[in-house]
Amino acid sequence: MESIFEKLWRLGPAAFVLKAIVAAIVADALLLAFILLRRTYRKRFFAKRDARVFELRQKWDELISGMIPYETWRKKPFDRRIVETIALDAFEAAGPQESARLLRFLRESGLIEKRIFEARQFTGWRRMRALVALGRTRAPEGVPALAEALRDSDLEVRLAALRGLGRIACPEAGEEILTWLGERGLTVPALPLQSALIQCCAERPQLLTPYVQHAEGPVRELLGRVLGEVATPSMGMDLLQFMGDEREELRAAAARAMSHVGSGLAFDVLNELARDPVWFVRLRAIVGLGGLCDPRAIPALMGGLVDSNRLVRLRAAEALVQLKTQLAPIFEQVVETGDRYGLHAYLTALENADLRAKLEQELQISAEITEEERDRLLKVLQTGCLLPEESAKTGSLSDKAALLQ
Amino acid sequence: MIRFLDISNHTLFWYYLASNIAYLIMLITALKTSATHQRRLESHRLNWIKDSPLAPPIAIIAPAHNEEGSIRVAVRNLLELDYPELEVIVVNDGSKDRTLEELREEFRLRPVRAVYVPDVQSAPVRGLYRSDADARLLVVDKEPGGSKADAVNAGLNAVTSPYVCVVDADSVLERDALLRIMIPILADPKRVVAVGGIIRVLNGSEIQGGTLRRVRLPRKSIEVIQVIEYLRAFLIGREAWAQGNMLTIISGAFGLFRTDLVRAVGGYRSRAIGEDFDLVARLHRHLLEKGANYQIRFVPDPMCWTEVPSDLKSLGRQRARWQKGLLDVLWPNRDMLFRPRYGRIGSFAFPYLWLFELLAPVVEIVGIATIVLAACLGVLSREFFLQFLIFGYAFATVISIGSVLQEEITYKRYNDWQDVTRLVSYCFLEHFPYRQLHMIWRLQGLWQYLRGDHVWRPLKRKGLDSARAQ
Repeated sequence: MESIFEKLWRLGPAAFVLKAIVAAIVADALLLAFILLRRTYRKRFFAKRDARVFELRQKWDELISGMIPYETWRKKPFDRRIVETIALDAFEAAGPQESARLLRFLRESGLIEKRIFEARQFTGWRRMRALVALGRTRAPEGVPALAEALRDSDLEVRLAALRGLGRIACPEAGEEILTWLGERGLTVPALPLQSALIQCCAERPQLLTPYVQHAEGPVRELLGRVLGEVATPSMGMDLLQFMGDEREELRAAAARAMSHVGSGLAFDVLNELARDPVWFVRLRAIVGLGGLCDPRAIPALMGGLVDSNRLVRLRAAEALVQLKTQLAPIFEQVVETGDRYGLHAYLTALENADLRAKLEQELQISAEITEEERDRLLKVLQTGCLLPEESAKTGSLSDKAALLQ
Repeated sequence: MIRFLDISNHTLFWYYLASNIAYLIMLITALKTSATHQRRLESHRLNWIKDSPLAPPIAIIAPAHNEEGSIRVAVRNLLELDYPELEVIVVNDGSKDRTLEELREEFRLRPVRAVYVPDVQSAPVRGLYRSDADARLLVVDKEPGGSKADAVNAGLNAVTSPYVCVVDADSVLERDALLRIMIPILADPKRVVAVGGIIRVLNGSEIQGGTLRRVRLPRKSIEVIQVIEYLRAFLIGREAWAQGNMLTIISGAFGLFRTDLVRAVGGYRSRAIGEDFDLVARLHRHLLEKGANYQIRFVPDPMCWTEVPSDLKSLGRQRARWQKGLLDVLWPNRDMLFRPRYGRIGSFAFPYLWLFELLAPVVEIVGIATIVLAACLGVLSREFFLQFLIFGYAFATVISIGSVLQEEITYKRYNDWQDVTRLVSYCFLEHFPYRQLHMIWRLQGLWQYLRGDHVWRPLKRKGLDSARAQ
């Protein structure tokens, strides 16, 4: 007796639609069966897992102290995964003491060694999973395995290794990343790389200086940006060399870094960079000057307030407003500039900081300004507009600024 | 005549076959992409992004028009989103109710003269308000512009962040939605210029204090069918198109864009009927004409829950508007078709939209009419007709069940057995008579557009309060 398939096949090309119908109905049935089976399996799996998690949780202290021999759960993959997940999750939120206890447990139980082995031996997704787990342990012995994975041909694996190294956040991890970067160049997207380097070099930013000096192109820019984030006051002299660098990214990084250095040396450098032809270098310098919170920065910030770039004006205004002790004299200078865009930016920053009433009060009681001057300034403050004679003074400058936006 | 009917019937068959095969290819691509995405997520810890000093600032623009019932909850929900650098800009689009007052009371607003540079066109702004309760909140109060696009443009002019996320004020975003939608940008900030998130149906779910507490399937059939449609459109359609960098729609309810690019293309087109589709089409055009190496991505896990129409009249209006929006974008961009300069968008995405989205109601209605005519004239092969019907039905069901499967193996938001059983049942029931009705609405949309009705009309929604009560 011939089968149903043979009967269908005998129908020939005319039965194409019929075959398609059969195929579609079979596909429907398979999809439904898959959904049903998967749901049933998952329900049972999670019930089992939940029960086991509860059991292990009950004896968690004995488990991580080693009172319960590690062999009792290590050989069972199901239990091992649960224990590792609980430990790593606890690690994310643990304080120093608890972290040390958990790390000791992960070491003694051999979980870290196992992950190191997996990170070295496995490929693809399984390697990636091992790398992430290794990073989450924050164990320095995981650095070599993670560094090896940086040379993997798969971008996702490289990114996982990079994130893992960033999570470990120790100078040794930073050094491994920098060495690899020197060897291979920029083979991963910039942001994750920057993020990892910032985490790793925060403790010892000097690590970066020789690499920045010798790097070229986009790598040099990227390292400059990292340096800008992590620089410390002790690096002042090292940073000076980047002030006149031909790459604007490096000058911007120097400006950013100088704001961490402290007021003495920083003022001169930031004042200089606040006049840079590139707007984002000026922006960084203005933000840096603002961060110093020092009245000596006022002239440079006034320059920033009438800058041709909107963002520079906004940041300069915010920095000026932060100098709360000098509200009235600064406002007088702002009005003196005769720049309506600068005034607008200043008033915006003032109102965002909710300091308008304070300035009004200061202007009312200030003994250093004449009655006529007081009325004029109050009027500008209330209307938000410059009086005709002031705007006429520098009208052309403002228009130019507007055009350059 | 008989020859014509025969050709018409066969054309309809091949059209159906091509359309379903296209969807089948998309289903397979989407299943593969989702699996890869799930794996990739394993190496991302969202709290690492949250703690990163390099997470670029995002401005959320939430246009609100007569939303007094839900605005407090909606804005609180936005301010509670997990993201390190956030700016929330609520645009009160000339509301006639107490929307602004509600905001003023809840967030202690005070008028400010914040920097507002009218880079893109919008109706005049009446005032700007900063919150004393949360400095990240800025409210732009403007004259009614008659469209959501106009309101978003006003918000765009007040944005100071490099990325802008447009949401509907009455939508509910999951707490980590911004962290998730930023993943493609953080991985490749130079190339990724926009990211679309998934929109899910809020009807039937329980929300409390602006946060989703329990996901349930809606009770009404018409809403359940929309759940399937959304799953199909997002988890299959957009996932697959984005895989080939051919995503042409980022939903207006939740999408992230590079601010400078949105400004460069002139913001949203105020008179556009489908402003979200229009913006993405103009972004593609702008970038392709510049020869830029860019990507527009879709991320299926940052969830935005939105209310869908719960009666036939509103649904009909919505679908007619979507169809009008489609024509409103495709027609002015017809010069992009099959021109090498416009790459895959001109060669694949737009032709697909023309053939299988825009012309679908025409082809289907004409097809049904010819089948009926053929039956009346007695020239219809009963065998062919039945086979065709069963085939179309079974194939379409595969796609629908495939989208439910996709949701099951990835995000599995409908945990209740009863919900899944109903969802699967509706995969079999949606094809008659809903599908035919849908075609008529879409045809109406085309007809309205051709008659010159290009007006954008907002839909009536119940708001978050009613969703909570359900």
